[in-house]
Formats: sequence, structure tokens, C-alpha cells
Amino acid sequence: MDDTPQLQSNSEQPLTLHTLSSIRSLLINPSTPKPTLSSILQTLTRSSQLTHHTLNLLTDLAIHHPSFSQLALDSLLTATESPTRLAVDSLASISELSFPDSFELDDGRFVSLCFGPSIPGRIWMLKNAGYLFKVRPALLFTVLLGFTKDPYPYVRAASLEGLVGLSERGDFNDVSMVKGCYQRALQLLTDMEDCVRISAVRVVASWGLMLSASNADMKAYWCNEVFAKLCSMVRDMSMKVRVEAFNGLAKMEIVSKDFLLQSLSKRVLRNEKQMEAMDQSTSEQFVTLATSVAGALVHGLEEEFFEVRKSACQSLHTLTILSVEFAREALDLLMDMLNDDSVVVRLQALETMHHMAINGCLKLQEKHLHMFLGALVDNCREVRCAERKILKIVKLNDLAMFKSSIDRLMENLDSYLQDEADVFSAFSHLGRNHKKFVGYIVKETFEEVEAAFEGNDEFKSARIAALLIISISAPLFNEYLGVIPPVLFSYAVTLLDRIYDAFSDIMDKDALLAYLCEKSRPPSYSAPNISHSEGEQQLPLIEGDTPNCASNGVIDSEVGSQIMKEQKELPSYQVEQHQSEYSEVTKFVNFILAKCPDMWQTIETGLTNEVLRSLRCLKEELSTMKFDSLGSHDALAFALLYIRIIILLVEVWEHLLPAKGSRSHGMGELEFKLGKLDRRIKELMSTFVGFSAEEELNMLELILVTYALRLCKLETICVNLTFKRLTSIYSCVESILKERSVLPSNFVVELGKLLHECSLQFDRCLKLFSLKKFVFHGTVKHLKAELSISNNDSLHPFPFVSGLPVSIPCKIKLHNIISNCKLWLRMSLDDGLVQYVFLDLDNFIGTGDVKNFDFVAPFYRTPKSNSFTLKVCISLECLFENVSPIQRYGGPKYELVPLCKEKQVYYFNVNKD
Amino acid sequence: MAIETLVLGAGQEVGKSCVVVNINGKRIMFDCGMHMGYTDHRRFPDFSLISPSGNFNDALSCIIITHFHLDHVGALVYFTEVCGYRGPVYMTYPTKALSPLMLEDFRKMVDRRGEEEQFTSEHIAECMKKVIAVDLKQTVQVDEDLQIRAYYAGHVIGAAMFYVKVGDAEMVYTGDYNMTPDRHLGAAQIDRLRLDLLITESTYATTIRDSKYAREREFLKAVHKCVSGGGKVLIPTFALGRAQELCILLDDYWERMNLKVPIYFSSGLTIQANMYYKMLISWTSQKIKDTYSTHSAFDFKNVHKFDKSIIDAPGPCVLFATPGMIRGGLSLEVFKHWAPSEKNLVTLPGYCVVGTVGHKLTSGKPTKIDTDPDTQIDVRCQIHQLAFSPHTDSKGIMDLVKFLSPKHVMLVHGEKPKMASLKERIHSELGIPCYTPANNETVSIPSTHYVNAEASDTFIRNCLNPNFTFRKCNSVDTCNSTLIDRNLTPELQVEDERVVDGVLVMENNKKAKIVQRDELLLMLDEKKHEV
Repeated sequence: MDDTPQLQSNSEQPLTLHTLSSIRSLLINPSTPKPTLSSILQTLTRSSQLTHHTLNLLTDLAIHHPSFSQLALDSLLTATESPTRLAVDSLASISELSFPDSFELDDGRFVSLCFGPSIPGRIWMLKNAGYLFKVRPALLFTVLLGFTKDPYPYVRAASLEGLVGLSERGDFNDVSMVKGCYQRALQLLTDMEDCVRISAVRVVASWGLMLSASNADMKAYWCNEVFAKLCSMVRDMSMKVRVEAFNGLAKMEIVSKDFLLQSLSKRVLRNEKQMEAMDQSTSEQFVTLATSVAGALVHGLEEEFFEVRKSACQSLHTLTILSVEFAREALDLLMDMLNDDSVVVRLQALETMHHMAINGCLKLQEKHLHMFLGALVDNCREVRCAERKILKIVKLNDLAMFKSSIDRLMENLDSYLQDEADVFSAFSHLGRNHKKFVGYIVKETFEEVEAAFEGNDEFKSARIAALLIISISAPLFNEYLGVIPPVLFSYAVTLLDRIYDAFSDIMDKDALLAYLCEKSRPPSYSAPNISHSEGEQQLPLIEGDTPNCASNGVIDSEVGSQIMKEQKELPSYQVEQHQSEYSEVTKFVNFILAKCPDMWQTIETGLTNEVLRSLRCLKEELSTMKFDSLGSHDALAFALLYIRIIILLVEVWEHLLPAKGSRSHGMGELEFKLGKLDRRIKELMSTFVGFSAEEELNMLELILVTYALRLCKLETICVNLTFKRLTSIYSCVESILKERSVLPSNFVVELGKLLHECSLQFDRCLKLFSLKKFVFHGTVKHLKAELSISNNDSLHPFPFVSGLPVSIPCKIKLHNIISNCKLWLRMSLDDGLVQYVFLDLDNFIGTGDVKNFDFVAPFYRTPKSNSFTLKVCISLECLFENVSPIQRYGGPKYELVPLCKEKQVYYFNVNKD
Repeated sequence: MAIETLVLGAGQEVGKSCVVVNINGKRIMFDCGMHMGYTDHRRFPDFSLISPSGNFNDALSCIIITHFHLDHVGALVYFTEVCGYRGPVYMTYPTKALSPLMLEDFRKMVDRRGEEEQFTSEHIAECMKKVIAVDLKQTVQVDEDLQIRAYYAGHVIGAAMFYVKVGDAEMVYTGDYNMTPDRHLGAAQIDRLRLDLLITESTYATTIRDSKYAREREFLKAVHKCVSGGGKVLIPTFALGRAQELCILLDDYWERMNLKVPIYFSSGLTIQANMYYKMLISWTSQKIKDTYSTHSAFDFKNVHKFDKSIIDAPGPCVLFATPGMIRGGLSLEVFKHWAPSEKNLVTLPGYCVVGTVGHKLTSGKPTKIDTDPDTQIDVRCQIHQLAFSPHTDSKGIMDLVKFLSPKHVMLVHGEKPKMASLKERIHSELGIPCYTPANNETVSIPSTHYVNAEASDTFIRNCLNPNFTFRKCNSVDTCNSTLIDRNLTPELQVEDERVVDGVLVMENNKKAKIVQRDELLLMLDEKKHEV
């Protein structure tokens, strides 16, 4: 502290490095008193010329002492007024500070900084201004495009990078602008400098696509053009340019078949027949561009650098969807990539094939098999796994291929025992997908299996188990073929523990057992009226080996319909009952919630397990309660969720306590629980409305605790994000406190202090946290949705034609949804493909809390398989913390919270062979 | 100013590469090779055309050797030790290391055949002392005006393309190069340069090769089929390059397929060459460089040392024998033994020099071959033509020419009719004038000469400030007719006027000067007053 007067006296001369470093140590010390800080600030801003060092110090000040951040920002801003290098540096410092509302750069300042004499400063501005600050897009575009003519290569590159960024954000209605930019980038493809060409390729790809999107008639023309331009860059001498070119190719949306085929052949194709098939303009275009397209992908695949080979494989990902013929020819090349020396490339090649299989364009031929199945004995685990992933969905055309697949899988099993579970699963899928061939395999191997079980032969358990899996999986989803001897099913029962995992995607262990028992009876014994396939659907209902399984299900559903009838007959009675019931529920809920704070005290004494046990009891109690009125539903749903959150909180809290040595937890578990806690809290905040201020405060405090725990316990990469969320929630709490003039809890006070000091020692405030009593007033409403899709189950799937869209007839019932909610229908396939459909609330009929809507949702990307299952769910966009929108093109902008249980919709292919 | 190119060898033919370029007063000899098809005076380039008096030291500024193949380096010893050239010779480090091996091997072969010796071992050693080794992308200032720089060329280890700059004139001589990487070497790599002249090889001026993967697969299949049928495989190769390439391929395959058939390397030279490869690892492909720390690709697991008794031993084997193209030596000897059996296989490269046994085998399907007047061999074995070539194909040449976009292209090292067709393509598709001189012809092309001009302070200051304008112009007005826009909409164009603003002023008795537009008006005003 003795430094301070000295600083002031020296202010006329430039500060020495020694002084600067002592200032810095004062700044980063959180306990430096405020008067010292303000005098430092004065010294820094008063010193005649600002230097790079003083900028850094101002930034430090702003980061470590939030109370000074505004002042520091102001002085940084004054530094940006003259167009010097220093000004740009100070802008860079400002951008690092990450203020909640992004800083707006006015036109004049932006232009003067860009046109300033400092070249590095100009480069920084062009590269980053568009990303970090709000600049008017039209102005930004003009400046960036202008600087593509700059004599300095790095300025050109930076302005092109800026344009790439601009294309990701802006919509440009003026086609000539887009075209001008595209054309300028084309010119720069032949620039002398590598760095310029790299960026030019990126601009050609992004702006070229924008150009093609601008005009529906010319779309095909422009797409072909962009494709050809990118192809012409794959022979560039710079490896990075080539990688960028293939990255660009991976973005193509439509390309004419001839262009695609040309990219697989180094010779220029001049096939007269094809020419006739093309329309006039396309064929003209093809003639002019063919030489630049020729062999582009071949070059990419036989590259010296694995980065380029990988990128080329990746581009095939999207390109193979565009044309069946191209996909077939590209596959020949892709197969050779399984021989690549780089694991990364082999994996990418397999992933591309998997993608092709999903889209039904993986046409395996005999000549491919040697290479393709060779990957099953690859010495890399990931490669083997990726290969099996393809085998699980691939459609093999003849018995020979099926047999060699089985043989190589057996080899895989032999040499890599650790793969057993996944290999079994692959067998199960192969059997299900190729029922025709299983019969032959069974015939050939039946004796071997029988011998193994009769004990006459050496027992090769893995092989036998695999054979059994393939035999028993064939009749699933298919009518009974009669060729699978029933005894195989009873053999399989003995290996149940080992093989049930292979079927875990469709049924659990009990269901499998029931299925095996049912099938192991000779066909003549089964009840005549019940078809076999019907039995499967009922399986989940059966526990153990019940002989007459099918009738069980029938009884159940009859009972169900009777219950339904009773309910309909008694509406008036229910209304009367509701009122009294409601207050009873509120009382009950409050009773349960009141127990929580007491329990919290117990945790502090270290009896976590006891607390958890009693909390779980409460949860059980709540979940068994059933009331009919809507209000009580809401109350119960809320209480249940609240208790769940408390349970999770207690579980996480345990990690905070000094280790008792009783249980050790991995970091992964903690992370998992924190993630779950995070989701639950979001659900609580998003799907319940009508909290009183007091209740809301209580909840917000819970959120703060979660975030503080996260920051304190996990050194995750997204510290910044969590920190941002924490501060935004904290400001909410602050404003509520001010409005209500309520005294904040010790925890909140301490947290405020920590945030003020920009300190990360959150355990300090967590120690002060105690669970407050939550008094439930009964005004809370639960947002929820009911989704039903009639006439569909795994027995009665909807028909579909692969490649064509299907409709999902949804009956949707919404409870308590208010008009500013954003609802989405989320549809997902098993392979991770997700499609969103926005639900317009105006279409819903009904008044008050319940709204109904019959909605036919389209699903576009039907896979090329015999059948598929779509998971449908109604979700709510989570708006309460608008910190980091997830940018999804055309989809929801924020995270989604499900409002109902996922519903499975089954489809079968009407065109199946 | 002009660049004069005198082609002493490899003009419209393959063999004895030697090009002498006179560029802005500097004379540089690129490559100094011998022709393997001749044994008379045609074997060496006609050096007398460089200097009739024989004073080569004054006539040449330096010699640049691109790689160690005899058709590129074979005449060097003769030229320096017998003809008496004393000036500098430049080549890359691997070329310097491997050339003496090749030359010594050749000398021994000549010795064995009992021909007249053109140079001795001492000559080779003396010659190598004059060689200055260069590294890739290292700019060497040969003298005050002459700069040279080597770029990676693929082809064989140490092969380089050379960039030469004298004053404002710039050119590249490619030597032999490969635009696709192979198992052990990378692809050619060069910067984008402003060239007046590009002299490129054109061995495969009309061939376009398919993916190398298919070729590898076929080769492996043929070899595998032969050895599993109990046959012997003869692979005649040069000791360096293809031998390593094919051996890496076979060794990998042996490993994967768990084959136990022995692979032999014929001579100490090849083993020694492998050792050189291990030392020169930085000149190999990216993959070998990357994996070198864990496993050297040149430590072959299945390769054994060759012994003469193996030739007639029963059972399958694979033999790499020198020299390539079955020109003589061990490969011819083994061929004599193995050719009569149909179980055996001979793999030959796609290109064999006229006059070698290899050429006879690949052109047509002979049943009998006369190796010398007394010997006739029955040929019943299978021939697998191996299209593995370390030369670029025509697409590669076009790609390189397109990438470099020089003002002029000259083709050497190729066959005349094929060169003519490539010349036509370069001219029509890329619009670049192209030449294919024959041996001993001279071609002269104009070279760039920049005017040195002073720049006025105002102009420089003006240049530092960006000053761009946009204008909408109708594309028909500005663009070439080939670029006619379909919609005829005005196009947005950017112009930066700061350079355009400069005006070149040439006053009497003064150096040329660039001034800013506004300044010019002032100057003109002054002059008016004076007048």
C-alpha cells in the first residue's frame, strides 16, 4: 500500500516496468482496498500516453474488481477514439471482458479504426469486429469486401474471414451483393498467398451456397458452379487449402449427377447418352467445368495428408445422398480407404458408410466384402465397433455375403473376446434383418449346437451363443418361418444371462425369457386363435413363464376400458369432490415440504444416508398419491419434482462434506448428478408457472446453489457459461429482493460479495446455505401436454415408403399452456436424426387451462429400412435464462424441456421385398 | 530481354536430360544425364554446343542436378572431370549422397561388359567434392544476381524442382516429379510463383492414371496368386525408389495376410539404399515421417538377404533384382532362369527404355527373346505390367501448369507425338504458349523486366491508405465475352484506386518516377510556367 503515493507523484513520466508490475500485483489481489484501486485507475488513465501495458492493467482491474469495471471500460473506450493500433488493442481488451450486453460499435468508430494506418490493427478489426461487436451488416459488408483488394495478403485473408462470419449471420436480400462477393472470392482463389486462398475457398463455399439459395430457378446452376470451383481447388499445393475445399464440398445441397460422377474420374467423361439426358444449359455448363471437376474426390482420397483424406471421406457423407449412382461408384473408392494407415481416416470412412447405410445407398457387392469385413479384425477397437455398427443395419443381398459376414464376425469374436457383447448384438440385428438366410445357417449349424448342448463335443460357448442368437432373432418381427427348431429356443434359455443384452434395444430380460419359452413349445401346442406375432407385443406384460400369455393381455385391456367407462359416467360427482380434495392436497404437500429444512440440518451432521432414505420414502409416498382434479395434479407434480431435486441436491452435497471414507465417488458420477440436477431445475422453472415472489425466490436460490456447486466442484470447460448463468440468475434475485424489500439469506449475501470480487471461491458461500421452508400456496400450475397417437403400436405400424415423408396424426392436449410459450414437436430416430416441428398455439381449440389440437405432423427423412420407430415428444423452449441461445437452423433457439413422455410411433415399409 | 533455352538432351525423347538456359545473362545447366539406350557418342549430351572453345567455366554459371537417376546425373562426372568444368554444382543432400552409388554401379556394369570406361572411381569422388548440397526451400545466392531454390518433387528420394531467379526473370525446371504421393514419398509441392518459363517433364503426356489403390490391389493380387501357386516372382527395379515403394507395400500385405514366403533383395546396394532411406527420413512422405519415432517403415520384417543359390532352389519366393527394365546384370540372369516356367511372374514397370528386355516384354507378347547373338530365352512366364510410376500423369502436369500459370511452358523428357498432344492441350485449355524443342535446338522467349522507379512520398503515403470504390458495371462492358453473365444484371465490382492513382513519369535524363495523380497536375503546371 506504500506504493500508492509514489505512483501518483510519478504520474507525469511514463511508468516504469517495475511500477507497472507492482500495480499489477495490487490489481490481482482481491483484498486491495478501494481507495488504492481508484488511485491506480487515476494514475493509469492520467499517464500521458496509454501503452499496451496500461491497457492490460485496465483489463485486469475490470476483471478482478467488478465495481471498477465500468470506470475501466470507460477509459478503455476513450482510448479507441483515435484510429491507432492502441485503439484496436483496447477494443480487443473490451471484447475480452465479456460484458453481458454485447458492446455496440458505432459506424464512425468502426470505419476509422479499419482505415487507420496500423495494419495489424486493421487485420484484427476485420477478423473480429463482426463476431465480437454489433456492427451494421451493410456497413460491415462494404468494408470487408473493399479490403479484399488490399495489397497486404493478411488483410485480404482477414476480410475474407470476416465475410465468412457475416454469411453465417446475415440474410442478404440483394442478390447482386451476394454475387459480387462470390465473384470477388473466385478471383482470390488464384491469389499468390496460401492464407488468402484458404479463406477464399471458405467464402466461395458459404457465399456460393447463399447465392444458389437466392434464386430457386438458378439453384441447380449455381450449386454445380460452386461444386466445380471447390473441386478445382483440391489440387492446390497447400494442404490447408485442400482441406478447406473438401470441407466446402461437404456443404453442398444439390449437385447434378454428371458433376458428381465426373469428380470420381480423372478422365473427362464425354458420354453422349448422358449428355442427352441433361437439359441444354446443364450440359453446356458441364462441358466448360468438367476439367476442373475431374477426379477431385479421387485426388482427395489418395492424398498424402490424412487431414485431407479424412475431409474427403467426410464430404462423401453428404454427397452420396445426392445420387444413387454416384453413391455406388464412390463406395468402390471408399472401400479402399479401409486399408488406410491412419485410424482417423478408417473411422471416417466407416462412419460415411454407416451414414450411407442409413440412407439406403450402401450397396455392398461381392468384391467389397474382403476389404469391408476385414475391418472386423482390425487391431483398433473403434474401427471394429464402427464396422459392426454398419453390419447391424446393412442389407446383404445374397447368402454368400451373409455367410461371410457371419464367419468374419466369429473371427472377430475369436480374436477379440472383449467385443463379445457388441458382436452378439450385431448377430441379433443380422438375424432380424435377414430372416431368409437364417434358415440356411440354422440347417448347417444345428448339429453343432445340438452336440454342444448334449455334451458330446467341445463346448465353444461364445460361438454357440452367437449361433443361438442369430437363430432366435430371426422370428422377431417376422411371421414364424417354421424352420427354426423349437429346441434352439430352449437352449437359448440356458444362456439367457449371457445373451439378453443383445436384445436390450427391443426387450428386457423378462420379455426375452417369455418370448423364448413361448417359441420353444412345438407349434401344435399353442392356442389356435392366437397368431404368433401377436404374442410378442404382449410380452412386456408377462412376468416369468406364463403359459397362456396372449389372453392375459386381452383381459388387461378389457379392464382398462371398463375403468374408462366408469369415469365418464361420473363427472358431476367429481366436480363436487374436487374442492375439498384440493385443500387436502395442498395441506399434504405442505406437510411433506415442511420436512425438508429439518432434514437439511441432519445433513450438516453427516447423516446423509438417513436423510436420503427418508426423502426417498417421501418421494414414494407422493408418487403413489392419485387425485382426479387438475389442481391437485399440479400440486403433486410440483412437490414430486421438488423432492427429486432435493434428493439430488443432497446427493451432490455429500461431495462437499469432508470425506467420511464410507463411500468414494468418481468425478464422473458427480458430473452426471449435477447435469441431472441442472435438467430438473430447468424443468421446475419452465414447466411450472404462477409462483409467488417468495416461492420464486426460494427456487432461484436453489438454482444459484446448483450453479455454485457446479463452479466449485467441476473444473469444466464451460466455467464461463456457468458463471454467466449464475450472474444472470443472481441479478434476478437481486431485483426481486429490492422489489419486495425482503432480507436476503446469508447465502445470497455472501454470493453477492463473491460475485462482486469476481472470486471463484464458492465454497465460502455454500457453507452458509440452508434449505428454507417452502410454503406452498396452491397457485402453482403445471404446464404439461398429453400426446396420443391412435391406432399405432408395434403390432399395427403405419405404412411408409422410404424416402417419402410420412405423417404422424397427433392428438395433443395441453394443460395450462400460456400464449408466450414456444412449443415444439421433437421427432427423433435411433440414429440421432432429430426433426423439429413448431406447434402454433393459435391452432389449439379450447378455453381456459385445457386446449386440444389434432395435428398431423410431417416427418421427412424416412430411412431406407423395412421398419423404423420414431420417438415423438412435445417440448417447451426454455426461456427463463436467456444467456446462451443454441443456434439451430430452423429449430428451437433455446434448450428444450420435455412436456410429456416420449411416444414411440411405429412404421413399416410397404415396399419391402 | 529474353530467356534462351538450349536443349542438349531429353528433347522429344526420354534420356540424357540436359537443358542449358540463358536467363538475363546467366547460363545454367539443368541436369547432366546420360542416355541408357546408347553406348556410342550419343550417350552424352553434345557439350560442344555450350562452348565451341571448350571453356565451360566462363560459359556456365552453375549446374543444377534434380535427382540421382543416371539419365539426370550420369554425364556429370564426365563433364567435370573429363571436359573440365570447374564451376559450382548444386543438388539436394540425398542426391549428393546417392549419386555416387548410382554412378559407381554404372561404372562397374560398364566394366563388366568390357566397354570403354568414361570415368573412374577417383573421378566420381573428385566430382562429388565440387557439389554444393542444398536443402528444400533454401534460397541459395549463387552470385550477386542469381538465386536458386529447391522444391520437393516426389519422384525419388531427394528429387527436387528448381526455381531460378535472375533479376526480374523467374523460371522453374521441374526435373522428374510426381503429383500423387506413394507409399514412401510425398507429392510434389511448390509455391505459387510469377514465372516466365516452366520447363516440365512429360513422360506421360497423354496417360491419365486411375486411383493408385486399384493398381496396388491388382499388383498384390497377382503376386499373391503366383506365390500361392508355388511360383517365383521377379521384380526388376532400380535399387532406389520403386524397390522401397513396392517393398513397403508387400511387407505390409505379408504382415496382414500372415504370409511366410520369403522376399529377397538382390544386392548389397539395395540394402545399403534402405539404410540411406532411414537416414534421409525427412525427405519421405508425411506418414513415414509421422510414424518414424515408433516404427521405421524401412525395417522390413519379411525381407531376407539374397544368395545366388536361391535362383534354382525350389519353392516360391519374391525377388527384387537390379537393374530395372532387365537391362542386364542380376535381373537378366535371373530372368533367364525363371522365364521358361509358366508358374513364375515378372512384374515390369509401365515404362521401359527402347532396347531393353523389359521393353521387348511389354511391347507385344514375345515367346522367344534374344538377349545376345548366342542366347535365346523361351518366355512362358506371366508378365504383370505394373503401372506404378514415379512420374506424374498428364493430369498432374496440367494441374501443376494450371497452379503455377507461367507465361510460357516448355516440355522435355517425353515422346514426340504425346508431347505434341499435351502441347495442344496446354495451349487451348490454359491459353499458355508451349514449346517442345528437339535435341540441340534453341528456343527463345521474352522475359519480364520490371522498370525500377522511384516513388514520390505522396504516392507512398497514398498507398498506405485504403481507397476503394464500388461500382456497378454491366458485365458485358467489362468482362471478356467468355464470361457473359446469364442475366446481364449489373455486377458489383470492387476497385482499389490507390495504385491506379499512380502515374509513371519519365522525364529526360531522370530515373522513372511514380507520382500521385494530383501531384502530376502540379508538375505539369510548373513545366508550363517554365516554358
